[in-house]
Amino acid sequence: MTATDRLTVMRVEELIAARSNGGLLSATLPHADTLQYTIEKRALVRVVEGLVNELHARFMISVGTDQRPVTGDFAIVQLFSLDREHLYVLLESPVSEKDPQIDSITGVVAGANWAEREFQDAIGVHPAGHPDPRRLLLADDWPEGMYPLRRDFPYNYRPPRAENVRPQMREPPSGATVMPMGPFFPVLEEPAYWRLFVEGEKIVGCDTRLFYNHRGIEKLGDSVLTYNEIPFLAERICGICGFIHSTCYCQAVEKAAGIEVPRRARYIRTIMLELERIHSHLLWLGIAGHIIGFDTVLMQTWRIREPVMWLCEQISGNRKTYGMNTIGGLRRDFPDEIRPKLLQTLDKIEKEAIAVRDAIVGDTTLHARTKGVGELTNEWAKKICVVGPPARASGVAIDARIDHPYAAYDELPPQIATQEVGDTWSRVLVRVTELLESLRLVREGVLTIPEGPICAEIKEGIPPGRVGVSVVEAPRGEAIHFVQTGGDNRPYRWRVRAPTYPNLQAMPVMVDKANIADVPITLGSLDPCFSCTERLETLDKRTGEVRVYSRAEVLRLSRMATRGGGVR
Amino acid sequence: MTAWIVKSFLLCVLNVATALFLSPLCEGIMRKLRAAIHSRIGPPITQPYWDLLKLLGKEDLRSTGGMVYASLPALTLASTLLLAALIPLGTAPPLAFAGDMIVVIYVAAMSAVLIMLGGFASASPYAFVGGSREMMMLLSVEPILAMALFVGAFKARTLALGGIQNWQVQNGPSISMAKAGVAFFLALQGMAGKLPFDIAEADQEIMGGPFVEQSGSRLALLRWAMWVKQLVLVFLLVEVFFPWPHFGNYLVDLVATIVKVVIVLVLVSVIDVINPRLRIDQALGYYMRVAFSSLAALAFAVIGK
Repeated sequence: MTATDRLTVMRVEELIAARSNGGLLSATLPHADTLQYTIEKRALVRVVEGLVNELHARFMISVGTDQRPVTGDFAIVQLFSLDREHLYVLLESPVSEKDPQIDSITGVVAGANWAEREFQDAIGVHPAGHPDPRRLLLADDWPEGMYPLRRDFPYNYRPPRAENVRPQMREPPSGATVMPMGPFFPVLEEPAYWRLFVEGEKIVGCDTRLFYNHRGIEKLGDSVLTYNEIPFLAERICGICGFIHSTCYCQAVEKAAGIEVPRRARYIRTIMLELERIHSHLLWLGIAGHIIGFDTVLMQTWRIREPVMWLCEQISGNRKTYGMNTIGGLRRDFPDEIRPKLLQTLDKIEKEAIAVRDAIVGDTTLHARTKGVGELTNEWAKKICVVGPPARASGVAIDARIDHPYAAYDELPPQIATQEVGDTWSRVLVRVTELLESLRLVREGVLTIPEGPICAEIKEGIPPGRVGVSVVEAPRGEAIHFVQTGGDNRPYRWRVRAPTYPNLQAMPVMVDKANIADVPITLGSLDPCFSCTERLETLDKRTGEVRVYSRAEVLRLSRMATRGGGVR
Repeated sequence: MTAWIVKSFLLCVLNVATALFLSPLCEGIMRKLRAAIHSRIGPPITQPYWDLLKLLGKEDLRSTGGMVYASLPALTLASTLLLAALIPLGTAPPLAFAGDMIVVIYVAAMSAVLIMLGGFASASPYAFVGGSREMMMLLSVEPILAMALFVGAFKARTLALGGIQNWQVQNGPSISMAKAGVAFFLALQGMAGKLPFDIAEADQEIMGGPFVEQSGSRLALLRWAMWVKQLVLVFLLVEVFFPWPHFGNYLVDLVATIVKVVIVLVLVSVIDVINPRLRIDQALGYYMRVAFSSLAALAFAVIGK
């Protein structure tokens, strides 16, 4: 730790000690970049005020844990990031079972809104003074007073069937009518329910009900699966950025257990993460085009994207959901012999991506649909603690790859792309720049990948009671995994926060006073991923029969199917 | 007299049949072109016929009762077919009479009005928004159509479409008619509901707008009506504003007309493919400018250019 770092740590400590008014119970340093403070809950709001206003800490997420079997209390951890100083600050407050409430910090940090509602649903600690304490996470027919993340709650409990339940929605302001968008809607790939309050075509407010996809992944992680099984589940949190979640989880456990990952494994992780960003950004560009009726962009970007998927398949055996990550490194090595082909493909993709960029930048109709649309000011972006491209497009220069370097990003630092205006057009520009930057990173990674082992040898078990915070800059922004290790070869608590979680909270601000026609592209410009946010996925597995088709065969079969030839 | 009636009647039937049975083919060609620009193989060009056949055989699901809602698709198709009978499709207009141009302007607006009413009658917020967008589009596009035709009427000193056409053939190109033709072409994109002006339908925003509650055979009729309208308006543009080269031989002229129609359809679908959808206020602003520039065409006509 350098002298400046030590100075920062001292400043944080002084501030917390002064603001907690004698309520600072303990201060520890679990890792070089993680400061953990246990403070009494009465001091929380004042300490958070200090952190946010004086040190410009960015709120990340709250973690509610049922610590009753260990300490007798619930624990609420508020996680903050000091981006410039590369530090995480954990504020843990014990909450006794007799008085299960804690002062809400949403008044200080608007971005804590959902996080606090979530721990209220999950472990039953009420955030007192919360402006909107409605249900967030649990289904509308879930019985009252049942908190699924409490340790004594069985993971396979099935609540009785309920009839006639509805989400609690706000009424529209007088004079406005309700325009529903969802729960199923053409531009929403996944269920989400937006109630837009409109006067004519102008939006005067909106209300949301999400989390239709909640599937209890965190509960499975601390009650059924073991450390080394969780990466497979983590990878299935999202259909696009699966590798990001498995990497993030593994890193959190590695950090908690003090496992040093070999350099080659870190390089391979970086390459895979950047390949995911490339195909995700191309996918997003296509969807954004489709949302405003520009299907040519959709078709062309997805055509360009396809070779990336083939590369992933050659490296990992799968287009998506690679199953490569494990605690300590990787389960599968990077095949060095595909290097020339990979580089060649990257060149081709880069050429085509630049052609698409030039076409987009010069398209005036596209400007008309995206400039000044869905504006998110710098001030609001900071208040709601937005992450990823939406933050960078609003002039908030945060990028987990730079602020909290992981994998091999300390050796392959990316150039951060920012814009100032914060409208949809800025978000397009940020993503297109990042796409080209990722191509460069993959190329450099492939050229400089070191030799060596791909997995650390883990001799003893993972000690209980440790914490690990890990972030990964997903295509949509910063993904966070928080792991508290447990004794039975599985985490005591595993908390996942996908980037869409804070970003979606910015929607009401972005669509305020907008036109109905601009809502889909505004939502689309956040690149929302509901399943990540809600941690659910569906899987359709009909036949067990194995038959290997070559690419040409599959292409021919699918074309035959569309011509009425039939596959079955 | 009887012979004249029989002849007009047969020509009407011919025009209506042409519009009815060729419009899906044109749509098929446009889809194929769209696919080519998308780097796709695309459906066979006969696909629109199969689409219609399939929709016609589907269950008729009704979200609301009401005569208006149920009967509008048929009326919409009928209105576009009436338009087909009023317009020269490779021959002289079959239902020609003095002043038929005024009727054409009204009938051309009818299908949009009917679709709009259908939207309002559907009791769906999306259809309602779609209906009001349809109305705004109609109000901004219709004056351009009228203005362009009036330029022709002014030049040819007649309110008969056939008369304008003949005058054009005899007097050759002029600045005013060329400007009017271009304005008409720009309005065509909006009248046919093609991108960037498919705002009233906007699948991604309002799920098809006025069409969202239509299904089965009624949806088939509405789709068909849109295709007929698109083809008939292209014919109107080609026959009235760009009737040259005129060879005097009927068959050669027919081939020339068809080639020109295909060219215009290709242009329409290329514009459709290379543009995102505009917002309604942007579309209104755009057509406002087009309307003012078509005023210039009228000015040129007044000074005899």
